[in-house]
Amino acid sequence: MSTRHILLGLLASGPSHGYDLKRRHDERFPQARPLAYGQAYTTLQRLVRDGLAEIEGTDSDGGPERTMYRATDDGTRELARWAGEIAPPAPFVTNEIFAKVVVSILSGGDPAAYLRAQRTAHMERMRELTVVKSASGADLATVLSADFALNHLDADLRWMTTTAARLTTLTAEVDTA
Amino acid sequence: MSMGHNTAGPLLAGRALVKAHGRTEALRGASVELRAGEILAVTGASGSGKSTLVHCLSGIVRPDAGSVTYAGERLEELPEKRLSELRRTEFGVVFQFGQLIPELTALDNVALPLMLAGTGRAEARAAAGEWLERFGVRGQAESRPGELSGGQAQRAALARALVTGPRVVFADEPTGALDSLASEQVMSALVHTAREAGTAVLLITHDAQVAAYADREVQLRDGAVASLEVTA
Amino acid sequence: MSSLGSDLRLAWQLTRGSGRGEWWRIALTAAGAALATGLALTAAALASLRGHYAVPLAEGLLSEPGTRSGVILGLLLLLIPVLGFLGQCARIGALRRDRRLAGLRLAGAAPGQVRRIAALETGPACLLGSAVATAVSVTVMVRVWEHPAALTWVAVALVAVAVPVLGAAAGALALRRVVASPLGRVRRVSPARPGRGPGRLFLVSLLVVAGLALLAANTTSSGPRGPMELRTPLTVFAALLAVGAGSVWLSGATCRVVGRVLAGRARSAATLIAAERLRDDPWAAARTHAAVLLVTVVGTGFVGVRQAFLEDLHESRHLGESIAYYTTGLDLTAAAIAVGLVITLSALAVGTAESLTARRRGLAAQAAAGVPRAVLNRALLLETALPLAPALLLAGAGGMTVGTAYAALTASASWPWAALLVPLAVYVTCLLAAATALPLLSRTVRPAELRYT
Repeated sequence: MSTRHILLGLLASGPSHGYDLKRRHDERFPQARPLAYGQAYTTLQRLVRDGLAEIEGTDSDGGPERTMYRATDDGTRELARWAGEIAPPAPFVTNEIFAKVVVSILSGGDPAAYLRAQRTAHMERMRELTVVKSASGADLATVLSADFALNHLDADLRWMTTTAARLTTLTAEVDTA
Repeated sequence: MSMGHNTAGPLLAGRALVKAHGRTEALRGASVELRAGEILAVTGASGSGKSTLVHCLSGIVRPDAGSVTYAGERLEELPEKRLSELRRTEFGVVFQFGQLIPELTALDNVALPLMLAGTGRAEARAAAGEWLERFGVRGQAESRPGELSGGQAQRAALARALVTGPRVVFADEPTGALDSLASEQVMSALVHTAREAGTAVLLITHDAQVAAYADREVQLRDGAVASLEVTA
Repeated sequence: MSSLGSDLRLAWQLTRGSGRGEWWRIALTAAGAALATGLALTAAALASLRGHYAVPLAEGLLSEPGTRSGVILGLLLLLIPVLGFLGQCARIGALRRDRRLAGLRLAGAAPGQVRRIAALETGPACLLGSAVATAVSVTVMVRVWEHPAALTWVAVALVAVAVPVLGAAAGALALRRVVASPLGRVRRVSPARPGRGPGRLFLVSLLVVAGLALLAANTTSSGPRGPMELRTPLTVFAALLAVGAGSVWLSGATCRVVGRVLAGRARSAATLIAAERLRDDPWAAARTHAAVLLVTVVGTGFVGVRQAFLEDLHESRHLGESIAYYTTGLDLTAAAIAVGLVITLSALAVGTAESLTARRRGLAAQAAAGVPRAVLNRALLLETALPLAPALLLAGAGGMTVGTAYAALTASASWPWAALLVPLAVYVTCLLAAATALPLLSRTVRPAELRYT
């Protein structure tokens, strides 16, 4: 995911400083990994270097001085291009779970036990997300982002169930290859 | 509730349950426990014995072997009349579909368990109306089940299962015939109400997203419990 | 011809693959067809006689054209409950059969093909019943009658062929909705609007039977009309028919009104369920109750007429004939009415059983939810009892009117009180007939029904 473009998007509503951008990011994308302040700061500097954002000025607001940033015209154009561009639908199948199953077979481990443990962890996470989304007062952004994760975890789970049922065949295939 | 039982132990427990339908053994020694107020998901592939387990636990069928204990009572020793009464007053059941009487309005369907318990019609209908309100289907009170959408019918069915204030609700694939949005509405209605009222729920599903509403999951495989996971 | 062969094979496979209900349907349909054939054959054989013909049966009642026409009329009237019974039999397993044939349509069978298969599922059962009845009738006829007329043979052949053909046609007709739209009946949801009542169909068939009866009466009574005593019963029968047809119409209406009124004020769960079922589909009940009402009208009227007629007979013995001649006629009529009642009650029992089978899944769900079996039993009985009470009252009143009118006509002194017992007796026997379905209910209400969704 492109942090550059997300920060550009947050700047689209008006000039803002690094800390404020971090706060708004965490608010808008509730179930995403929180943005580190250092990352926000370095990303903003790169945007300025590439001519997509510029420094608006400083604002002290009674506290320490903060640098205000705003998007340039190039930045706005780049944002529009990125937002309209499709995300490549799974260009490479790089799945850690699948890799672990295969490695487990190769090294004489217990892939079935691994899949069971993974399933338990997945279910645990799904329960957490369900609690988050069905809490009274949860806003729609929270519900939708939790749903996104839930659906992906559910897809993983279904894949694991099918794989667990076909482990014998897979083991034979991997061992002979 | 006046039922004097040990609150530390399970409210409902099935032990080493065996049940065959003809030559196929649906349950082969499944054991499961349900604590008061908890939501337990029973998952497993189709044909793994989920429905039969619920039928045994709710006293709809008697197991061939094993025992079911509810609040200190051994269900297999009770006469059919008492089992009926238990299901009417202490338990609530929700199936995938078909539990509403097609000729009765949604309101009368929900009022029915109260009328069976001896409540007057007007009072029963008033209480039923409140439950429909809670599940967001008050507007469909005078509709027949055939005129309701799948999600509305299931919410009316939930109202009917909960109207008597049961201690356990058995839900057998309650969202099996619904799309994901309707399924979400039904599940959150069920979970919220159950938590509020302290009702235990035994939820049968093959859908992990539905199972995720539960506190705990029991997986059935070939009529026995495959894994028992407990979360704090 | 080869396509007919393959259709026949398919019909046979479908029937063999289906449940026990299907064999019940075949057995009962064959029995009904046998009964219909028997009655029609006897009527046809009698109708083929011309003028005075010595028949050494029933005190010579069959020898005279006038009385013979009365017997023929009675036989044809008996066909009405038999038709009702056959109609009820056709409904056994109707839901499953509808789905099966709809499945055939979805699989690509042409409407004509499905219609043929439907006819082939009903036709052979009727053929079986008709063949057995014809064989028995012919054997009896040859035994008691040395030289049957050629016309009689023609009539026998006609009836033997007509019954299975009509049965097959009725089978195909009953499925016209499936044939029209393959998805029509596959869905579980019942139609929002109750269908049009069967009143029209019933009325038409009633008119056909009545027309036939009058025709038979006119053709057999060659020469001068019989004495006044014989023409009066004819008028009585016509009046009975009118009242009967009226009560058929009223039966449906009563069901609807009773349902609506009771649904609003029901206090107990059983009454509420029964009332709402009536309001939802009043014609389902009317279909079964129509024949009951007809028998009640005829029965009540007959008891009244009989009393007055016997009184009249004892007072004025101007005919100089044996009283046995008349009493045999009356006894025969009484027997015919009793047979009609038995057939009607069988139809009622079959109908109740079928309605249970059709909604067994819902009933199992009710029991699973803890609805006591006693409540379900009561609701089932109330479904029969509630609408029948006012309808029977009305039918009884109709029959009494006929009876008293006849009594007034013959200037009879006493009022036919005994006739009042008829509606009451019919009511009780109807409840008993409906109660025969109760064991089926407890077998139906099983969790196994919950398993197949």
